[in-house]
Amino acid sequence: MLLFKLAFRNIFRQRRRSLLTAMSLIGGYVLCVFSFSMSEGSYNNAITFFTQDHTGHIQIHKEDYLLRPKIHKTIEAPEELSAMLDANEEIASHTLRIFAPSIAYSDTDNTPAQVIGVDLDRERTTSTLAAKISEGSYINSEIDGEGYYSAMIGAGIANNLNIGLGDELILISQGADGSIANDIYMVGAIVGDRDSGDRATVFLPLATAQEFLSMYDAVHEVSILLEDDGRARAEAEALQELLPDLSVDPWQVVEATFYQSMQTDKQGNAVFMGIIIFIVFVGVMNTVLMSVLERTREFGVLKAIGSRPAKLTLLITLETTVLALISVLIGLLLATPLILWFTYAGFALPEPIDVGGVLMSHMTGELSLFVFGTPLLLVLGFAIVISIPAGIRAALNSPTEAMRSH
Amino acid sequence: MSAVISTTDLCRFFGDEDETLVKAVDHVSIEIERGEFTAIVGPSGSGKTTLLHLIGGLDNPTSGSVDLSGTNIAEMTGTALSDFRRDHIGFIFQAYNLIPVFSAEENIEYIMLLQGVDPAERKHRVSEMLAQVGLEGLGDRRPNKLSGGQQQRVAIARAMVSHPEIILADEPTANLDSKTGIALLDLMKELNEKHNMTFVFSTHDEKIMRRASRLIHMMDGMIELDERK
Ligand SMILES: Nc1ncnc2c1ncn2[C@@H]1O[C@H](COP(=O)(O)OP(=O)(O)OP(=O)(O)O)[C@@H](O)[C@H]1O
Ligand SMILES: [Mg+2]
Repeated sequence: MLLFKLAFRNIFRQRRRSLLTAMSLIGGYVLCVFSFSMSEGSYNNAITFFTQDHTGHIQIHKEDYLLRPKIHKTIEAPEELSAMLDANEEIASHTLRIFAPSIAYSDTDNTPAQVIGVDLDRERTTSTLAAKISEGSYINSEIDGEGYYSAMIGAGIANNLNIGLGDELILISQGADGSIANDIYMVGAIVGDRDSGDRATVFLPLATAQEFLSMYDAVHEVSILLEDDGRARAEAEALQELLPDLSVDPWQVVEATFYQSMQTDKQGNAVFMGIIIFIVFVGVMNTVLMSVLERTREFGVLKAIGSRPAKLTLLITLETTVLALISVLIGLLLATPLILWFTYAGFALPEPIDVGGVLMSHMTGELSLFVFGTPLLLVLGFAIVISIPAGIRAALNSPTEAMRSH
Repeated sequence: MSAVISTTDLCRFFGDEDETLVKAVDHVSIEIERGEFTAIVGPSGSGKTTLLHLIGGLDNPTSGSVDLSGTNIAEMTGTALSDFRRDHIGFIFQAYNLIPVFSAEENIEYIMLLQGVDPAERKHRVSEMLAQVGLEGLGDRRPNKLSGGQQQRVAIARAMVSHPEIILADEPTANLDSKTGIALLDLMKELNEKHNMTFVFSTHDEKIMRRASRLIHMMDGMIELDERK
């Protein structure tokens, strides 16, 4: 308490100097919070984007399908698995998919196409496929009056083949049994535009695709959305226990390239912010040392009349830490409205930027304990560290200097 | 009656073993009894300050010993020495050296805070001390709002408030005009008699010396004359 009082008064003794120090600390803190908010925000947007778009939070495959997709690496009897996933409280929804490369034809043209068979009902609640339809409407799995099943095609395919809603689409591929697969479908919807990730995809009803590829009821992929997106790793591990014959992976593994570049980028950002705060503190350290040297006599007296040397070190550390704490609190007050605005409104970017492979045209921040807390710990940590040399200097002060008159 | 302060062959040398060697204190053996009001006098450079520092445990002797009420402080260091000073010795400095950010009261209270004296007792002792040094009503002023004489009175109160056995004062009146200086010394003398505390102070001033009950004359680090009145 005594030391606190002394520390407080010493801070207010050199008002101008303390103010300047506080201002640089506040500036460093706010900058740091903003930068963390921006990097967390843009990456979280990217993560939300692709987990909702198609990846989900967790995926299940056979063996190493993720690395080396082969048509025969299938999950057999998926109904059982589906029932189990439906019963799991942590899981919001899941969907079943199969994949096969193929060539799509119209009367006049052809183009490569990725066929994805999706469980239409489940896909609707698990990915944003339905929302991405730009023409027509979400298909059903019924055969139509003329004997065709419907397909939803990427805008790139529609363009390359020069076909539209209601036109015929011919697909040729290789079935799971090695046979040539070919069939004719009716275009029921067009997905996205010519730049979207689905531009070269053909979506078929699951059963239709299974029949086309002679896969019976097997699937290649189960994609799962969780109630809590933070639980991806934990829940993936739990599911893996239950499914020893399959490979259960959280999005961090499914999108490994993205995840690693994100981690590297975030670490780089943290290091960069650490350096900024360090530079701020080089100035602060100078100020603290100066304030100690100026008070040589005072520390000598404090020591002579019986203050323990360690108390003097503590006093200097307290002075710096209290000033840093005050600065951080002011910084917090200033940063909160800024980050609130940034998180809930954000700003449009003049040019879209690439965040780990996802294009972003609107930048929003992140409001979290991490964003505010990490810079706070950085500032307080540095305050303590840099005050130690000055504090030791004060503790080593010879009290004889104080008693000597001049 | 045993000595409160007792030094034996106390030496403090500065510099190397050659021409530059300064024998600031050179084989000083003195005994000071409880309640004595002793002045250390001598020309500039004779070793008064150095001797007071050694007695007060602010400096370590080159050789010899310093016994304060039977404790040899020449061998103490660090925290033990800090605590010993806090509990047994009061210091008064020439340049007052009050803590500028503390009021007079807080300056006086400081050592008791270090000692962990309880709040009611602290408050009581502070107002008692303020009265004894004649500063009633000025307790909440900071040092820069007090005159030199008043500041030195606060310093006396600070030195005495925890009832140390020994008060050491290095030229306590040197920064004061002679009238104020004499008044201050009279105050010290009065408190010395009232509390039977042992005072040792150094001075150049003839008028101040006359008030001491014992005069230790120093010259070149050695005791030249030790006279009791
Ligand atoms: N830290 C030191 N380093 C070297 N020499 C010192 C040191 N402290 C004191 N001395 C020397 O020791 C001798 C005694 O000094 P001291 O300050 O004790 O004298 P003093 O009697 O108090 O003098 P004054 O009346 O001027 O205060 C002097 O010659 C001084 O130069
Ligand atoms: Mg001196």
